[in-house]
Amino acid sequence: MESKWIPTMCYQCKAECAILARVEDGVLKEIRGNPKARGKACVKGMAGVSLEYSPERLTHPLKRIGKRGEGKFEPCSWDEAMHAIAGKLSDLRERGEAHKLTASFFPHSITDPKWRFLNAYGGFINTALPHCDSAKIVACIKAMGGVPNHHIPPNFASVPQGGVIILAGRHAMGCLDDAAVPHDILNAKDRGAILVVIDPLFTADAAKADWWIPIKPSGDTALFTGMTHHIVVNGLYNKGFVENWIREGDFEKLRDYLADKTPEAMSKICDVPAQDIVKLAEMCAAAPSVGVDSFKGIMLGQALDFGHAWTNFLAVTGNIDNPGGQPLPDLTPLSPVLPAPSGPNLAEKGWHRTGPDKGKFGKYSFIMEPTWYEAQAIKNGDLKVLITAECNPALTEMGQEEWRKAVTMMDDKGQYQLEMLVSYEIMPSETSKYADYVLPDKSYFERWELLYMPWWYNFGHGVALRQPVVEAPGECRHSNEVFIDLGKRLCPEYFAFKNDLEYYDIQLAGLGLSVGKLQEMGGLWSPGTTGFRKYEQGGFGTPSKKVHLYWEDLEAVNQTMPRVGLAPEYEADAGEFPYILISYRTIFHQGSGQWTHNNPQLRDPIGGLMENPLLINTATAKKLGIEDGALVTLRSRTGKLKVRTKCTERIRPDCLGLHHGFGATIGRVAVLGEGVSDNVLIPDSGMTLDWQDLVGGESHVSTRVTVER
Amino acid sequence: MKQLSLAIDLDRCIGCKTCVAACRNFHGLIDHASSLPGLIPYYLRVESDRQGTYPDIAIRSWVMPCQHCKNAACIKACKAEAITKDTETGIVRILADKCTGSRDCIEACPYGVIQFDAATNKAHKCDLCWDRVHVGEKPVCAEVCLTDAIRFGEKEMLKMELEAEGKEIVKKMSAQSVIYFRNPA
Repeated sequence: MESKWIPTMCYQCKAECAILARVEDGVLKEIRGNPKARGKACVKGMAGVSLEYSPERLTHPLKRIGKRGEGKFEPCSWDEAMHAIAGKLSDLRERGEAHKLTASFFPHSITDPKWRFLNAYGGFINTALPHCDSAKIVACIKAMGGVPNHHIPPNFASVPQGGVIILAGRHAMGCLDDAAVPHDILNAKDRGAILVVIDPLFTADAAKADWWIPIKPSGDTALFTGMTHHIVVNGLYNKGFVENWIREGDFEKLRDYLADKTPEAMSKICDVPAQDIVKLAEMCAAAPSVGVDSFKGIMLGQALDFGHAWTNFLAVTGNIDNPGGQPLPDLTPLSPVLPAPSGPNLAEKGWHRTGPDKGKFGKYSFIMEPTWYEAQAIKNGDLKVLITAECNPALTEMGQEEWRKAVTMMDDKGQYQLEMLVSYEIMPSETSKYADYVLPDKSYFERWELLYMPWWYNFGHGVALRQPVVEAPGECRHSNEVFIDLGKRLCPEYFAFKNDLEYYDIQLAGLGLSVGKLQEMGGLWSPGTTGFRKYEQGGFGTPSKKVHLYWEDLEAVNQTMPRVGLAPEYEADAGEFPYILISYRTIFHQGSGQWTHNNPQLRDPIGGLMENPLLINTATAKKLGIEDGALVTLRSRTGKLKVRTKCTERIRPDCLGLHHGFGATIGRVAVLGEGVSDNVLIPDSGMTLDWQDLVGGESHVSTRVTVER
Repeated sequence: MKQLSLAIDLDRCIGCKTCVAACRNFHGLIDHASSLPGLIPYYLRVESDRQGTYPDIAIRSWVMPCQHCKNAACIKACKAEAITKDTETGIVRILADKCTGSRDCIEACPYGVIQFDAATNKAHKCDLCWDRVHVGEKPVCAEVCLTDAIRFGEKEMLKMELEAEGKEIVKKMSAQSVIYFRNPA
């Protein structure tokens, strides 16, 4: 028997932690965190073994024979599938509509081969996440000129004694930043850090917190602005940072803006007592560091306002790029693969800029297509070919029914308005039921991939190698290989390299490495530093080289300073739908992907989470005469569903909670239990544009609902 | 007394179940292609309790493996004498070749930790990773714990270590060979 531990990278979620995989005679048996990179793997990572050996793995391409949505397919050859896809893309480009191709996937690096193909061909990427943290990225760029990166959590391992950690609507212990995060937060607490959790739901993080603040959803902009008011008006700000690193004139503009944003006034919006806003402000002002981890905030649509309030707060307290504060990651200096395709112009040809709503997106400043406008773009005729890889919009897209409607809409000639839909997956998913071609992907245990995105918890200073540890079943091909193949057929000048490995080799040359060398080294390279106060050499990445509090480019839309009111979605329908539905997550599932939901370990009640009952505050349930475990109807302006209740003390009385990602109708394990999809209730974002953040590119995720016996 | 033990930190356990999955993989408790949720054996589980009502609540979690009892009810219940408490380690083991599948031990166990395998007609449970601990490795649960909430060692030494750190052993939960501890209030 041959048994060995092989270093590679997990992909049960976007954190992509470094792991070791134990392979015994060619069979994957166990997973561990890689001790050379923080050494932790979470429950999803451990359960990756079950994913690998699912009997439902796709092993050869499928071609649709029924209508979209029926899920009827017949096997076809790779040649036939590639011929059809390349033919359609060639036709689209000849029509001058290359920009009407979008591929929806999570890029594993900023030079992900799939992304390179899109740039070379002239199509667009979207992130496969309808409610990602685009607004935070935009806020970081506007305020600090930061690298356009993902969630950028505080480096919890760097929080000093007495430092404050604020988790605002962020389930950090769910490990979506890194499996080492729970450990690092608890170690920081042991050092004397203070953990504050601001969330309408009492999360696993709240269970470890020194202080849980059950805020009203969407109230976080007001809370942070109220704290900033108290800190600025009472002279508690970091004078050195303000004097040296805030753009001249901005602090005065902030002070003027804050004049009426008193803790008392903000308390009325966020439903946190004014004395608590003052207490938290004073705690933060006195602390050696404050780190805020959030994603888009507390489920709000106006996420850029929160991002702005947050960066203002960090700036006046001097918590930027300091130990325990907000890191500003570096990019790894890899070599470019020339010629480098520039990609189509998003501001001219993006689907949000070509349709009837183009005027509304005038100040849109995120770097990718707004995924949540996908259904609308299909209806508008601005999206003609959609390729999804490792994502599941039929269940993940807000207003999933509208997405399903859009991909099945026909024109007056009886042709699908979306001319081609390709689903690239390891197992059949809700989305694949609608696809014209379903392509069998390699799992993350079967493929090569070079990872170096700056959103990692190592703050971007490195590269990591995902390598095959077991053989792929049947005819599986990794999507990167297939996109390179498409590139060679359709834009060969950008795909002159032999294959994915040579592509990675060229990039790694910038570090004096190659795939082979990196593999020999154990698959990881990093200088091992976070780097603090890097702005002291050369300033910030903004035009003034200082932090910008006032955003003059948004004068026309009245967003030069954060708007503190609740997002429109909270005010709309308040009479008919008195409760706010929160979509929440746990460590057991990320998104609606089959890799966690069709995984027997992660759906097992002992090893994971099987169902998503409706969380309802015990007092609220009593008031409504609803018993624990009762079957109730949950209704919003968009849809309704039946769900079983779970009475709890863990949630605000005016909120209801549903775990996101359940409700699959396909998959041996995924269909078990009484799971429901929150997206049945959430309105389609393209049809509720007035509620969305059309500057930061964020769409809303909580919904007004009513609950009936 | 010779007793190997686990010490569970109530301040650090977040109820993430990473240990459950790693334990199942190591001990081969799951058939990845056919196992169904709700029917997969397990050698430890997560429990939790809540104090207080909204908004003043506290929730704590912990893991519940075999407690490797001092005077194990399972040993007394087993007519086939298939369960022993090892004198060198204090590990309570089910000897598969002697087990007749009577399930008496499952009935007798006050902690509900013994599993039954219908295919082999045998009871089975946590053996504190017998094969690992004899070669100087920790039990899997202690090795993989996401928050380092599970310590492994000889019970007397763990107690000494906790005392030196000023930890409080929760006596009510630690009646057998597994220790549950926290920071004093």
